[in-house]
Amino acid sequence: MLHHLVYIDPGSGSFLVQAITAAVLGVVFFFRNIRMYIKSIFTRTPKKQDDNNPSA
Amino acid sequence: MPATIIHHHPSSYRDPSGFIFEKNGILYRQVNKVFKEHFDFFIASGCYEKLVKKDWLIAHETVTENLTGDEQWYATLKPERLSFISYPYEWSFDMLKDAALLTLAILKESLASGMILKDATPYNIQWHTGKLVFIDSLSFEKYDETVPWIAYRQFCENFLSPLLLAHYSRMPLQEMMLAYSEGIPLAVTKSLLPWWTKFSIHTYLHIHLHAKYSIKNPSSQTGKNTAFSKKKLLNLVASLEGLITKLKLPESKSTWSDYYDEASQRTDYLEHKRTIIQRWLEKIKPVATAADLGANTGEFSKLMASKNIQTIASDFDPNCINALYNEIKKNGEKNIVPIIIDFSKPSPAIGVNNEERDSFIKRTHVDLALALALIHHLAIGKNIPLEKIADLFQKLCNYLIIEFVPKQDEKIKLMLTGKKDIYTAYKEENFLSAFQQYFSVLEKETIAGSERTIYLMKKNEA
Repeated sequence: MLHHLVYIDPGSGSFLVQAITAAVLGVVFFFRNIRMYIKSIFTRTPKKQDDNNPSA
Repeated sequence: MPATIIHHHPSSYRDPSGFIFEKNGILYRQVNKVFKEHFDFFIASGCYEKLVKKDWLIAHETVTENLTGDEQWYATLKPERLSFISYPYEWSFDMLKDAALLTLAILKESLASGMILKDATPYNIQWHTGKLVFIDSLSFEKYDETVPWIAYRQFCENFLSPLLLAHYSRMPLQEMMLAYSEGIPLAVTKSLLPWWTKFSIHTYLHIHLHAKYSIKNPSSQTGKNTAFSKKKLLNLVASLEGLITKLKLPESKSTWSDYYDEASQRTDYLEHKRTIIQRWLEKIKPVATAADLGANTGEFSKLMASKNIQTIASDFDPNCINALYNEIKKNGEKNIVPIIIDFSKPSPAIGVNNEERDSFIKRTHVDLALALALIHHLAIGKNIPLEKIADLFQKLCNYLIIEFVPKQDEKIKLMLTGKKDIYTAYKEENFLSAFQQYFSVLEKETIAGSERTIYLMKKNEA
């Protein structure tokens, strides 16, 4: 474990809520991907964002 | 060997991995032995190089010497020096938004190198040569897939909370970040957001649900038994990214949008002012640093920047600074730092012992300050005596270009409608005697198309 260097409080329950949130998001993204796939059959894929500019 | 004094930076005490210190006026970062494994991996994995190449992380040189003489010493880094330190409570909405997206982009990039960000605070992001960059090279540690992201709550409280609150209230709320300088607690954000945000799945998960589970309950906080994976973390990041990208602050019809209409009617006045300033700049050069106080959308900051002068463009209007930020971003302007400062209450010193984050005044000392069409806002708009205004400006600069707006000016007449005129002391002669306590007048001119005068002053030697 790398926890000896942890100096910020992960938040009481933040690990647990993260696990729940990530699980829910897994379902959300699963359906979104299906929707996007179906959409992409009918439309061209949108262009990729600029690699060096996270806010573009 | 003469003893040299080492100053530990007062904001660098939290993280045991290392610290920032100053020696002979140069800032260094020490890496402690305890962090050796992570730091070596950060370099060896190519993570550092990749982030620097993308201009996302500040570059450093490695100094082989143990400058502190500390037993804990493992390495010394000399990062590129920042010209000015600013804090998130001085940033506009889009600056904070871009800082949030940068943090997430860096997290993703580090995951690709087998590392993770162990903290997510906007104080690790600073303005450097025209853009926001990450400055803490000790924030990266080896990634253990089974453990959730340690900085998740910190990210939600420091970035997501203020952005969501500003978005839904349609108000620039950067001052809330000063009140909650360690991040807006999730319970506070939850109670301030409209109830129907619960029906937005991403906001519900990151704020509402998160707040519910953040109530202190030691038995539930251990990371054990919570199955986690890289795929899950990437979903979390994608969700945060998607949510934040959509947030925006509507541009309100404020001082700045009126500025253009008005400026177009007063081209003589603005052009003459510009000519005078350019002439004076030649006279007092070299000027390396400047602060444009009350910069509006930065017309004169841009003039300074075009002469290769590092310029702090400050204004109390968040919309002006946001507009200026977006313009700088679009044009790749490197010499301007845009920040929101209200000169009737510039940012105070805060944090541990009030030393962690310096006040605006302590951080700012420039060769030249510009105070154009500002003094009446402070003296009449905020009732600040001229002597106090002079005292503020003398703390910031060596040279001062200041415009005096007389009482008969239509702007002041407008300010005084519906307000009792108690400003009998607001006269040019009193203005001069207040400023001459600290400055000598080098030049004076009346600006065409107005009754306003502009002065070039030099601060008297102490």
